[in-house]
Amino acid sequence: MKTWKKLKENPKLWDRYFVREKVLRETRNFFLKEGFHEVETPLLNPALPPESYLEVFETELIFRDKTRRRAFLTASPEMSLKKLLAAGIGDCFEICKSFRNQEDRSLLHNPEFTMIEWYRVNADYRKVMEDVENWIYYLAANPDIQCHCESDVTSDEAIPSGLPRHFVPRNDKLQNSGILTYKNKTLDLTPPWERISIKESFQKYAGLDLDSHFDLEKMKKAAKKKGYKVENNTWEELFNQIFLNEIEPHLGNEGKPTIIYDYPKDMAALAKLKKSDPNYAERFEFYLFGIELGDAYTELTDWKEQEERFKNEVQLRKKLGKIEFDYDRDFIEALKSGLPDCSGIAVGLDRLIMILANADNVADTLFFPAVELFS
Amino acid sequence: MSCGKIHIHMTKISTSDFKKGIFILFKNENYQIVESTHVNPGKGSAFVRVRLKSLKRGNVEEFTYKSGETVEEIPIETREMQYIYKENEKYVFMDPKSYEQYSLSKEILGEQAGYLKEGNVYQILVNNEEPLSIRFPKKVTFKVVEAGEGARGNTVSSGAKKSVKLENGMSVEVPLFIKDGEMVVVDTETGTYVERG
Repeated sequence: MKTWKKLKENPKLWDRYFVREKVLRETRNFFLKEGFHEVETPLLNPALPPESYLEVFETELIFRDKTRRRAFLTASPEMSLKKLLAAGIGDCFEICKSFRNQEDRSLLHNPEFTMIEWYRVNADYRKVMEDVENWIYYLAANPDIQCHCESDVTSDEAIPSGLPRHFVPRNDKLQNSGILTYKNKTLDLTPPWERISIKESFQKYAGLDLDSHFDLEKMKKAAKKKGYKVENNTWEELFNQIFLNEIEPHLGNEGKPTIIYDYPKDMAALAKLKKSDPNYAERFEFYLFGIELGDAYTELTDWKEQEERFKNEVQLRKKLGKIEFDYDRDFIEALKSGLPDCSGIAVGLDRLIMILANADNVADTLFFPAVELFS
Repeated sequence: MSCGKIHIHMTKISTSDFKKGIFILFKNENYQIVESTHVNPGKGSAFVRVRLKSLKRGNVEEFTYKSGETVEEIPIETREMQYIYKENEKYVFMDPKSYEQYSLSKEILGEQAGYLKEGNVYQILVNNEEPLSIRFPKKVTFKVVEAGEGARGNTVSSGAKKSVKLENGMSVEVPLFIKDGEMVVVDTETGTYVERG
């Protein structure tokens, strides 16, 4: 049944869908209070950041005089935002739709999704970590983001008076204290959250000393011993196999959300290297209930390195048979003119909304999920 | 009754061939794919998350493959067999052609065992003479034996539900208008009410 019909039949379902408008509104409030500018950048672009593994939506722009130009739906507002940072806008954020093609038909992914990206100038990733903690705590502790969140299967479970099912007070006096329950699991969102470096996480959960395994052959040996297939694998693929199977399931699943930081430098090509240990770069991700929600960097400001990286990605896309397009010279021009020291993050809002609405999947928080539109 | 091979595949398959319901070898044991999702993380290489049901223990495990990795698929043939009885936690089926008997454990059938009716014919998935699993019809019809009271004044469109007991002992959530003795159609995958039978 189409979602609009379900809503018409069972008006109790509206609450779950209204979590989205509340999250969007309160997110704007949070960043505006922090003194950020909210900006809009184009969804339709002549060029996109070349990211080798993602497929894009291509279309065509036709002017009245029949001039034709290739055009792409944005996969991330990053390049536009960085041009504005180079121009001197200061702290800024954007909430926008982003597009990815050739993904699995899935209730967890929508080919168009809502993303927030924000940048802080004269700040490194530690400041953005604090933003993440404060923002999500602010959302979860906000008594207005309350949803009794009926599931499609009606249940007569009693809901304590006035309290949303997924916010349980820490004690009788403290309502909506930031204790979040999702699918019978609970997290305390009060800052600070758990912070663990990639290196510590490999030691703790996989019993592997990453520093002595930067060499491909050594990594292969260790992965093989653990039972993974290692032939034809790159170092990054081996890293991912261990990370995804042995480490990720623990993240944001042990009482507090987790911020995991300092990635091997090859896995964070657009992040600044750590001064204290240049094998690692200043990148972090954060997790709630084992679900990855955002990816942040202390941004690389070196235009030469950026251009080099783009050229490699363009080549890689060609090799992988993805839609080919040139990189944005105007973006390199902007970096050349001087990007201030800054740190930024991209967060998928759909998954966050799914968690706050206590929904099983992203499609259950969208009025018109793609799986339904294109079924 | 007909029986026979439906299809035989090459045994090496790639993660792009993964789909719900196929059988693969994982850590040298037989598993059935319950769910498979391809993930493009945006930064970095793609991977495939799967939920696998162990045919030995019946539990579901999670694993993440690198996209493009190859695994062994277990070739399956489908045979129609009659369910005859339950014995010592095993469900016994008979091939009506050869009269040979095969059994499936309660771990493999899980809660779906409740859908079995003695004498009915089911599709049994067999590898190398070993029964691995069963394919139920998508929908089955059961009689309601305990419907309880429906709240007064509720209409079809109110969406309210109640729990009723079926002839096979299972409970299912149904609309309030369903009464004792009525037939209801149940989805065997989700265990949920579909429509009046």
